Amino acid sequence: MSGSIVLALSYGLLAVFVVAAVLRSVRLWRLPIHLRWELAPIPKEKTRGRYGGSYLEEFEWWTKPREESMTAELAYMLKEIVFLKALWEHNRRLWWFSFPFHVGLYVLVAVGGLLVLAGAAGAMGLQGPGWGLMRQGLPILIGVACVLGTVGALGLVVSRLFDARLRNGTTPVAMFNLILVLALFVTGGVALFSVDGYAGQASAFAAALFRAQPPPALSTPLGVHVAVALVFLAYLPFSQMMHFVAKYFTYHQVRWDDRPLEPGGAIEREVTELLQQPVTWAAPHVGADGKKNWVDIATEEVPK
Amino acid sequence: MSGPVKVKDIGARGDELLSRVDVDELMPLPPPYDRLEEQPGWKEIKPEAKERMVCNLDGVVGLSLPRPETEAEERRYVDQFAEGLKKLLTRENNWTFLQPLTLALEYCVGCQTCSDACHIFKASGDKEIYRPTYRSEVWRRLVKKYVTPGGRLLAPLTGADVDLNWTTISRLYELAYRCNLCRRCAQVCPIGIDNGLIAHELRKLFSQELGWAPRELHEKGTVLQLEVGSSTGMNQVVVKDNVEFIDEDLTEETGIEVHSPWDKEGVDVLLIHNAGEILAWPENPGAFAIILNAAGIDWTLASEGIDYDGVNYGLFYDDVQLARIALKHVSTAKKLKVKKIVMGECGHQHKALMTVADRILTGDMRVQRESCMTMLEDIVFSGKIEFDPSKNDFPVTLHDPCNIVRNLGIVEPQRRILRHLCPQFREMTPHGVDNYCCGGGSGFAVMSGNNFTDWRVSVAGRMKFKQILDAFADQPGPEVQKYVCAPCSNCKGQIRDMLQYYGALEKSGITYGGLVELIVNAMVDVKEPFIKWEMH
Repeated sequence: MSGSIVLALSYGLLAVFVVAAVLRSVRLWRLPIHLRWELAPIPKEKTRGRYGGSYLEEFEWWTKPREESMTAELAYMLKEIVFLKALWEHNRRLWWFSFPFHVGLYVLVAVGGLLVLAGAAGAMGLQGPGWGLMRQGLPILIGVACVLGTVGALGLVVSRLFDARLRNGTTPVAMFNLILVLALFVTGGVALFSVDGYAGQASAFAAALFRAQPPPALSTPLGVHVAVALVFLAYLPFSQMMHFVAKYFTYHQVRWDDRPLEPGGAIEREVTELLQQPVTWAAPHVGADGKKNWVDIATEEVPK
Repeated sequence: MSGPVKVKDIGARGDELLSRVDVDELMPLPPPYDRLEEQPGWKEIKPEAKERMVCNLDGVVGLSLPRPETEAEERRYVDQFAEGLKKLLTRENNWTFLQPLTLALEYCVGCQTCSDACHIFKASGDKEIYRPTYRSEVWRRLVKKYVTPGGRLLAPLTGADVDLNWTTISRLYELAYRCNLCRRCAQVCPIGIDNGLIAHELRKLFSQELGWAPRELHEKGTVLQLEVGSSTGMNQVVVKDNVEFIDEDLTEETGIEVHSPWDKEGVDVLLIHNAGEILAWPENPGAFAIILNAAGIDWTLASEGIDYDGVNYGLFYDDVQLARIALKHVSTAKKLKVKKIVMGECGHQHKALMTVADRILTGDMRVQRESCMTMLEDIVFSGKIEFDPSKNDFPVTLHDPCNIVRNLGIVEPQRRILRHLCPQFREMTPHGVDNYCCGGGSGFAVMSGNNFTDWRVSVAGRMKFKQILDAFADQPGPEVQKYVCAPCSNCKGQIRDMLQYYGALEKSGITYGGLVELIVNAMVDVKEPFIKWEMH
């Protein structure tokens, strides 16, 4: 395949990833504010958060200042993101595979980040003293990622095939997702062990993308790995694997969103607008006609 | 249906049960409740009743859904359901929960971490249809197939294999009422997916689009409350009479002048009880009156509108009814110009009025709302009332109502009171925000049609009953009187039904009641024991 086609395909797949990931995240961000639906424990609750208490434990809570701890919230998030705390505590059997699977991905993302940096540096003609260190370290990181990721992904595939708990809820798409990630790790591992100058080739490829120049030809195993990685990236925003973005919303905007409505505040303004929307629910007791809005429906006398 | 139940089975073989509840497979209970032969049998659904009502899920009929008479009628319901499925995902019709619902639709990875957290799934002996994700996955596959563009074409790839037909929707309706909406599953989900919310939204779809809802929650619940003032059927004259009677009775019993004021303007506290207390546990509102008067609180009850009944069953199945009731609760408080509304011992009342309805109380509908737990803690530790904790020197354990504890984070005030006033207070395991639901949550406590009570007590409440027994395992016999403190009307109703079902007062000496009863029992000025060791 010519370098120009590789360049165009790479840009295309990366563009799909960026655009789709941004659109999907923005879509979640733009969903309307919902009724309060918080769920204890809320770790930002200073001192009370450790046992699940909230500011509603205060006598006449509205007369007291809210005491929140960003440190406690960050500590909770860190434990959840890095160590998969919830899975460790509540589903240990799956954690043994899910943890290496996720760590493998994290390391692979870190490797990607390093390659981007190296590519950018290369494109600008910068070859700092760290480059040699990176060239040595990159294969180690890739190796760690691929071993952990392969063990994790394989374990998850096997679990979904043979664990009766998981089998019923596993769709073909879910299985495909796992197999795709498994392919990502396996091809990475194969490339690492069969390609001389792995780091050099990979960073040269990244640098070429930065320069918008046709990249140098990659050895076949590395080419396959890069292709799988780019396909994976382009597919990612369309899959459940975007749950790393969704988690921000489920935690921060649902579970931990215990903000009370304040007169004249942003929540009141948004809700007042939402209440003006017409309702079309069809059950007779709702009394909707497609013109009445939520305020009309909620305040009129009930149909008997 | 034989073999393991699959998600797509929900729409197949509609004349058969999808999965039968087998008493032999339920989670074992400790002695003496482990002998199946000594437990009351389940009420049988007669063949003629099955001819009339849908009974195709698990052999339990909680909703008495009539069978359609014609295929055209079936088709109409299926079409309505399909419409509702779409409306649930629109901003106009469901802004109230669209964001969490969308997240639950798109991001569950099926790790099943939620399953072991669910008391119903575990108590049933891991019955597949009670797995929190089973119902959710049915809904997801229906949305993927019938709402997502190209869904039918892509179904073989996406796994959207559930057919939308009468069998599916009739089973799904009943299945939406096999979850207590306690949200314990959501609490442990690594992604933050809320299967309880999905059950809630399915209930809303059935109610708001098809007009299907349990009679106890709708006709006898929210509709009656909005028409008459209370889901108990009491109008304002009757409720005042009943409270007056309670005051007289308790004045005689305690030797203290008990008086409950009505409709006082400009007071500090408008106390709203679950009106079920007035009928089923009159000592509870009576105890509140004794405590508030002794502490010198300027308070009132309200007879106007619906403010003598704090229930809001809309929380469980219908956003429109939820909003109507919440707005009425607040409007009377505004009229009386009270400083704050205080929730009585009712969990879902707390959640409905303090948090869920919070964001619709805009503009001049704003009134401050507080839990009775914090007010009672303030009173108990204020020094205004003299207590003798030795009067409560018997084993006491605390049930945490999900709506007050897990959902509002009000965990410690009630515990500080119990530690102060009850020398033998002990926790259940687990407790606090990790508690198990009593099994009566989300309206189940007032639902008793056909054999639903048998299921509610034997399956939904099984984990809580085991927890209660375990909490008193050091003194299991009936010779030691023990008290389960359940500061929530619906929880009390469920615990009463469980203790009665198993004969736990006779076999283990266990009774139950609220928090205020323990407070009054410990008051030095109350000479006679306030707690009666009887099943009531």
